[in-house]
Formats: sequence, structure tokens, C-alpha cells
Amino acid sequence: MTILTLLLILLPMAAGVAVYRMGAGKPAWSVTAAVVVGEFVLSLLLLKRLGSVLELPGVCGLGLNFSCTGLQAWLCILAAFLWLVSGLFSGTYLEQDRKNHRYYLFLLLTEGAIMGVFLSADLFTTLVCFETMSFASWPLVMHRQTPQAIRAANSYLAYAVIGGMVSLMGLFLLWSALGTLRYEELLTAYQSYSGDRSLIFLAGCLALVTFAAKVCMFPLHTWLPGSYAEAPSPATALLSGIITKAGVFGIFGLTAKLFYANLRWGNLILLFGIATALVGGTLALCCTDLKKTIAYSSMSQIGFILVGTGMTALLGEENHMAVWGSVLHLTNHSLIKLVLLLTGGVIVYHLGALDYDTIRGFGRGKPALAFAFAMPALGVMGVPVWNGYISKTLIHESIVEYIEELERAGEAAGLYHAVEWLFLIAGGMTVGYMTKLFLCIFVEKNTNSSIQAKYDAMNGKYAPKLWILLLDGCAALMPVLGLLPHLTQDNIAMLAQDYFTEEVLRLNVHYFSLTNLKGAGISLAIGAVLYLVFVRGVVLTKEGYRNPWPKVLDLEERVYVPLLFRVLPMIGALCARLAGSLFEWCVALCNRILFFRYDRIVHPEEDTYFARYKSDDPGVRGFRAQIAYALALFSGGFVCVVVYLLVSNFIL
Amino acid sequence: MNLLFFSGMMLIPVAAAVAMFFLRERWLLNRVFTAALAATLLCTLALAACPDRLVLDWDFPGLGVSLRFGFDGMGRFFGLLFGVIFLLSGIFSLEYMDHDHAPGRYNAFYLLTLWAMLGLSTAQSLAAYYMCYELMTMLSLPLVLHEATDGAMKAGMKYLGYSLFGASLALFGFFVLGGYSTPETDVTNFTAGGAFSGVTPSPVLLLAAFCLLLGFGGKAGLMPLHYWLPTAHPVAPAPASAVLSATITKAGVLGIIRVIYYVLGPEVLRGTWVQYALLTLALCTVFTGSMLAYKEKLMKRRFAWSTVSQVSYVLFGVFLLTPVALEAALLQVVFHAVCKTALFLTAGAIIHHTGCTYVHQLTGIGRRMPVVMTCYTLSSLSLIGIPPFAGFVSKWGLATGGMGVVPVFGVLGAAVLLVSAILTAGYLLPLTIKGFFYSGEDDTPLHPTWRMLVPLAVLSGALLLLGLFPHGLVQAVHSLPVLG
Repeated sequence: MTILTLLLILLPMAAGVAVYRMGAGKPAWSVTAAVVVGEFVLSLLLLKRLGSVLELPGVCGLGLNFSCTGLQAWLCILAAFLWLVSGLFSGTYLEQDRKNHRYYLFLLLTEGAIMGVFLSADLFTTLVCFETMSFASWPLVMHRQTPQAIRAANSYLAYAVIGGMVSLMGLFLLWSALGTLRYEELLTAYQSYSGDRSLIFLAGCLALVTFAAKVCMFPLHTWLPGSYAEAPSPATALLSGIITKAGVFGIFGLTAKLFYANLRWGNLILLFGIATALVGGTLALCCTDLKKTIAYSSMSQIGFILVGTGMTALLGEENHMAVWGSVLHLTNHSLIKLVLLLTGGVIVYHLGALDYDTIRGFGRGKPALAFAFAMPALGVMGVPVWNGYISKTLIHESIVEYIEELERAGEAAGLYHAVEWLFLIAGGMTVGYMTKLFLCIFVEKNTNSSIQAKYDAMNGKYAPKLWILLLDGCAALMPVLGLLPHLTQDNIAMLAQDYFTEEVLRLNVHYFSLTNLKGAGISLAIGAVLYLVFVRGVVLTKEGYRNPWPKVLDLEERVYVPLLFRVLPMIGALCARLAGSLFEWCVALCNRILFFRYDRIVHPEEDTYFARYKSDDPGVRGFRAQIAYALALFSGGFVCVVVYLLVSNFIL
Repeated sequence: MNLLFFSGMMLIPVAAAVAMFFLRERWLLNRVFTAALAATLLCTLALAACPDRLVLDWDFPGLGVSLRFGFDGMGRFFGLLFGVIFLLSGIFSLEYMDHDHAPGRYNAFYLLTLWAMLGLSTAQSLAAYYMCYELMTMLSLPLVLHEATDGAMKAGMKYLGYSLFGASLALFGFFVLGGYSTPETDVTNFTAGGAFSGVTPSPVLLLAAFCLLLGFGGKAGLMPLHYWLPTAHPVAPAPASAVLSATITKAGVLGIIRVIYYVLGPEVLRGTWVQYALLTLALCTVFTGSMLAYKEKLMKRRFAWSTVSQVSYVLFGVFLLTPVALEAALLQVVFHAVCKTALFLTAGAIIHHTGCTYVHQLTGIGRRMPVVMTCYTLSSLSLIGIPPFAGFVSKWGLATGGMGVVPVFGVLGAAVLLVSAILTAGYLLPLTIKGFFYSGEDDTPLHPTWRMLVPLAVLSGALLLLGLFPHGLVQAVHSLPVLG
């Protein structure tokens, strides 16, 4: 375990530095590819080491702790797989880039850091690796160095720094209140804590912030569209596919290990989750930019995962259904977004533009590309026999289960009925925006027929063999996972559920029973209505696709930036200047009084005299006009005081 | 044996400083200068390795004053830090000062400042400490005045004024404390734990303690006596700013630690108005320093404001009067010294090679000096307190050290530290972003020699290593008697 963990974390980091030293070019990619393949093999070895731990006392002050439970091993494998595909994809994508060695450096640094996050056994280690990951992935967003990319990267960095600091405050409070940050000890410490429980809840909320920002939880999602759109597509696939999942892992840790079966916490995560799903869905429906649509889709899907996570806390010991749903939706979403964004990357690679009007019709007559796009799209929509259906059904079932539990106990369940419906509506939004995107690229014709002719001319030679192989290979996973859920997804859930619960249970869910199909059917129907009415009616106009989302509602531009970078610094600087110069004002006042009706102090041009303050001639009189003279007098006075003390001491 | 090392440590810098005025050959001057710094550091190391505590002990009975010198744990800690920082910054100055008009004078006063500071760290009584403290002020003044411009002159006067004012405040406190001495025991001699334990503090004693701490705090940039830093640092040559900022401010910190833990004893102050007043001042300083650094456009002055803020992290830790916080404060002393030296040396490298002093002129600098700016970035991350860099370790201790122990200030302090950390990111990282990711007007690479690169690389490498493996340093700090 020791060697394996250290290798998983340090090998990519060291290799990254080596790759950077090699400079830009093909060899840099070859080494990167070798490393990501090796890393994937290493991550598979984790399955043999389940239950082992690694402690590094004293490192980074408090000491780092790693462990390998089923969930952690699975997340590592997933991460390594995504890095493998994205790393292999990057070769051609960044071939022309003069700075691709820098990209590979930070790609590998981020991989090492994310392994650290997933293997961490205490909150401290999680945060240390998480911050490292945020900083290492920041240059990936910045990579293209266009003004928009820099702007997006600044926003990403601001979230990383501010979120990190707020979370650190939460960790300070938890540490001083509970005396431990280890996941396995947190719950016991919390239960035996005698002080004010709301302090712990507050600390948990603060600790949540950086993770929430990374998973784009509403209202901390404003960095998302910029960063996703500006980063190179293989990096976007990682950002959306797995880096967000590092945040989810942090939330899992807080939910499962600290606030286990805590209703207040469960409701908090649930409500923010459903808000995230709805806001993300709405923005994606309105959006008219390829990568931003997928970005908002990520936000919306992570909302679903958060709903599942909230349900795990609400359901307490009976939370298997919610656990399965959250873990599987996480897995499915990673794979789906990987393929979707890389497919989007093929389009960006050729067109350099992302807006619907330009990319419209690009995919006509490109069946391999259409397959690579359709499979994950169907998966994310939750259409039966594709993978997303399974996980969404599980989460939906867990809400229903909780409602039944409440009703059995005779408590009001109205709120959760609303949540159930909102959940289905958010699912419908997914159907709506994915249909919009698919039809736009692969079915509709471009309004400009010469551009359409150009697109058609590319058919058959738009992507290297490796790309097609990677894309279609991964895309084929979606129906396989969806068709054989008991063989594939159930086993993943079996592996990963030990993180949440002592009792390992094999659920026997009839995924394709009528009740479960009904939920998917409602979502699909809502989706069809949304597409036909909203997209066809509002977004798609005669001039092309138009984003109906009012600019006034841009949180980042209207609220966060002015508040954080103008109003607060202005107030802060005003106070600081006042407080900081108080003594200077006193000095100035004293000077005025001392030199009242006195010649102005003269500073000579040259260093002839030691700080002369009168414009007298040199000589004896000149000496008296120097600070040195004043100093000598001061020293004399000082000696007198000492002598006086001496004498008075002797006499007394 | 230790008298030999002690006299070596005390005589080498003075002898070399005298020689500086007579050596005309530039290469010889440089060699003697570096050799003297290295030899002094070696003597300090050797003395630190000797077990005995006192080396010199001149008592003046009747006068109520005793001059004592020697190394205890705390002195060793600071002495070695001073020696290392002066050596690295000195190596850097070989290149920085190569076109200077009076390198001999600069080198001489640089060595003499080191001399005074080593005296300071070996001082074992308040009188000896005070003497060396004043010496240090006077001998470092020519470093501020060195450029001999109008601004330098004004800044020098301000430095002198603030230092003397602070020292005279301290002197008042010293006199009052001296009054508690009996013929048998001199309370102003440093003893771990202090000589006042068990004494119920009278208002006069508390006032004296406040004056003493505020006076020494002036050197450490504690509000309201902080204004000399942003004035004096920008005008001094960069290596001098580095030692001013990294070590001379720490002399104030050492004074405060000596007064609290070796003269008064922390119990005297715990829970009194003095502690709360000083904590308030320290937190105000932390915020003010960061905020004004964020608003500052001149690079070196920005770093100076940053020093104001960061040294007050240390003072906050010391004033909390808990062992955990003191331990973290001592770590912060080291980390801040290393960090800030690296930052000022970066500024020096930039100024020496491009002449740019304003932040907005530095667009694209990362492409011209990649190694220097990489070191800058690493040090910045440490100063912000991003894991796994060193600054994170000390910040963790500072923030958790007071929680649950000192009412209100524990939690409030942690919050202020984090706000300050965000501001620190705001004033340091834009240089990295603009330096590496924007292209400037001029893209020709610059080639600083090893004299500049080695100190920078050593300092920033140390920050990463100390951040990952702080265990040894933590153990060293932990074994200090006052932390027992």
C-alpha cells in the first residue's frame, strides 16, 4: 500500500516535471501517454489492497493519512481511466501547440493530486490534496492564454483561493472542537461532543464551501461556463468528468463520516442539490454554446448526485438505495461527460468556434461521431437501457422510499413530494437540452449552404483513427452498462458502498419494472414538451439560435465581481488607510507644533552631511545643523540619565 | 572553547567590516565579504552546538544592570536564522551591487548589522538586549540611506525616528521592571518562565509591560509604529530590504518573546487588558498590512506592507500566550523570513536586470526570467499559506492555537488570518499571472548569474521541503524550555 499510494501520487508528478524538461513536441506526449497507461494499471492494483491504510505522520504539519476503501479505489480507477482516454486524445489535439509540454506538466500534476484526494483518510489530507489539485489544474484553464481564457482562469483561481480559505476555517473549527479530522473518528467524536452542536454544523457548512464550489453547487457555479469553454477540450473532459467528482468525494466524506444520518445536513444538501439541478438545467436549455451547454449539463447532473447524497443522510441506516444511486450516477456522469466533451473537442478542433449557429450541421453524414455523441446523450437523458437511466432511477426510488417512510410515520411529506416532482422536471430538462444539442449538430442543416458543403466535404477524414477508436469505444460502454445493470453497475455499487455504511447489501432492484419506467417516461414527456415549446418556440428563432437568458441575471458580473473586487476592497482600504496613517498624522501634527514659525527643513542634494536640516554653511555651525548633532545630544542625555540612576542608586 | 567561538562570531564581522573600507579591488572585496559571512555563520553554528549557556557575565551591582551574553535555545534559533538569511542575501548582493558607487560601505554596514543582530540573539539580559537593539538600529541605518537620494534620506530619518521612539518606550518599561530587582536577583536577566510568576500585576507594571512590548513591537511593524517599513524598504537596496524585512523585524519579535517568556512570564499578562490590547493591535495590523499591500502599486512597497501584515501573524501567535500558538509563531518567524527574503531578492533581480519597479511594468517577466519567477511563485504560494508549502503549517498552528483557549480572539483571529490570506493571494498572484501568461513588449530572455539564482532556489526549495517535512523544525521548536 505504501509504495502503491506513493507511486500513484508521485509518479505522475515526477513524470510531469520530466516531461516539461523535454520541451514541446511529440516525445512529451509519448511519455505522458506511457505514464497515464501505467497509472491506470497501478490504480487497478488498488483492488487487491482494499482496506489498507498509509500514515505519513508529520508531513505538512498535521500528517497525511491515506486509506483504500472500495469507493476510494473505484474513484481512483475511474480517474485513471479518464486520464488515460483524455491523455491519449490530447496527442493530436495539441500537436500544433507550442506550449504543449506545459499542458502535460500540469495535466500530470493534477492527476497525482487527484489520486491524493481520492485516497485521503482525513479531512486535512483531503483539503491539502484538493488545494494542490485546484492550483495544478488552474494553468490548464489558462492554457490558451486568450483574454477570455485568462478571465476564466482568474475566476477559477478566485474560487480555489477563497473557497479553500473558507473551508480551512471550517477545518480549524472542527479540529479545535472535535480534536480529530480522521474520517473514521469524526462520527464518534461528534456524538460525544458536549458543546454546541450548531457550531459543528456551521463548521461543516464552511468546510463544504470549497467542495461545493468545485461541484458548481448553486450559487457557487459562476466560474463554470468560462472555465469549461476556454480550457482545451481534453482538459474540459477531465474538469467535468472527474475533477468535479473530487468535490463530490469531499461532500461524501462530510455526509457519510461526520453528518451521518443528520437530518439538517441531509436537507441542506438535498435543497441545494435540487436548486443546482434546476438552475443548471434551465441555463443549459437557454444556452447556445456547445461547451457551455455541456458545462451547465454537468452542473445539473451533479445536482442529481447531490440529491442522492442528501438522501443518504436523510435515510440514515436504510440508505442503500441512495448510496447506490449517488455512486452510480457519479460513475455514469464521469463516463458520459468524458465522451461528450471529447466529441465536442473534435468539433472545436476543426471549427475553433462553439456557438450553435456555426456548428449547426457539422455532424451530418458522420456516423462514427454521431454514435459517439448519441450514446452518452441518451445515457444522460435517462432513457431506459442506457446507463444514466439506472442511476437516476435509484435516486428517484430513494426519494420515494423516504416519502413512504415519512408517511408510515405519519409525518408531513409535502416537501419531498415537491422534491420528487422537481427531480423529474430537472430530468425533463436534461432531455430537452440534449435533444436540442443533438439535433442541432447532427440533423439540422447549417443556414449557410456553403458552410454546410464544407462540412460535408470533411466526411470520413475529420478525425484520426485513434480518436474514433477512443470515442466509439467509450461510447459503447453506455448501452452495455445500461443493458446489463445487474452484471456491471450493481457490482460497482457493491464495491463502493462500504464508504457509507457498515452493512454491505446487494439490492435487488427491478430496473425495468413498470413503476420505474414510469418515472423515466414522465421525464421524457416533460423533456419533449420543453423541447417543442421552449427550444423551438423561444431559443430557435428565424435568425438562428438565440440565448433568451437575460444578461441582468449574470451573478458573477452583477454581484460577485463588483462586490469582491470593488466594494469590499474600497471599504477595507478606506478603513486600513485611516487606521494605518493615524500615527503619521500625530507625527505631522507634532512637527507642525515643534517647527511652528521655523525655517523649512532642508534636504541637501548630496550626501555631504549626515542629514542636514538647516541651510547653514558647513563648519562648526554647520555641524549643529545636522541630525548627527541632535543624535549626539540625545546620547549625552542618555548618559546623563544613566549616571543619575547610578548616583541615586548609590545614595539611596 | 565556546568563548573562542563567541569571540569569533563577534570579531569576524567587525574585522571584515573594517577591511571593507580599505579594500579597493572589487573581487577581493567580494571574496572577503562572503568569507566573513560564511565564517560568522560557522562560528554561530559551533557556538550553538556548545552545551553551555552563558559565555560572558558582567554584573554591575548597585547599578542594577548586568550584561550577559550566551546562547540559550531561543537565541540559537534566532541566531542561526539571522546567519543563514544574511549569508544568502549577501551572496545575492554580490551581483546586485556590482555597479554600485560604494559597495565597501554597504558591505561594511551589512556585516555590522549582522554583528549587532548576533549580539542581540546572544543577549541574556534585558540591558544587553537593549544595547544591541540600539546598535542594530544605528548600524542598519546606513543600509537604508545607502542610495543617498532625497527619498532615501527622508526614509532613513523616518526609520530612525520610529526606531528611537519605540526604543524609548521600551526603555521606560525597562526602568520600571528594573525597580522590581532585589540585591539577590536581577529580574531583568533572562530566565525561562520569567521572574514575575506569582506576582499580582500592579497597574504600573502592566503599563510598563505594555510600553515595553509596544516599543519592541515597533520594530516588528506593530501598529501604530509600523509606518517606517513601507517607507524604508523601497529605498534600500534589495538585499538590504530583504534583511530589513526578514530579520530586523524579527529582532522586535525576539524582544517581545524575551519580555513575555523570559522576564515577565506569560501568567502575568494572561487575561489582562495588555494582552487584549496587543491582540487587537496585532489583528488590526494583519488586516491593514494586507489591505494596503493589495492596493499598492510599487513592488517593493507592496512587499513591505506584506511584511507588516505577516510579522503581525507572529505577534498574534505570541500574544495568544498558548504553547501551540507560540510554537506556530516561531515556525512563522522562520517561514516568513525565508519567504520574504525570496520575494525581496526576486524584486532585486527584476530591478537589477530591467529597472522596473512598478507592478504593472512586469507583464511578461516570467518569460524573460523563468527561474526567478518560478521561485517567486513558490514563495508566494507559501506566503499565502497554500498546502503543501511551509506557510500553511504555521498558519494552521496560529489559527488553531487560540481557539477554545482565548475567548473571542481565537476564532476572530483565525477569520482575520484567512481574510488576510485571501488578500495575500490577491496581491502576490497577479505578478505570476501577468508574468507568465501575458506577453510583454520585450521578450528577450535575461540571464541572472548563479549568485542571484542559487540563493533564490535555496530559499524557495527550502519552503517546499519545510512544508512537506516540517517535523525536524517542529521538534526543534518544541524542545525550547518555554514550550515545555
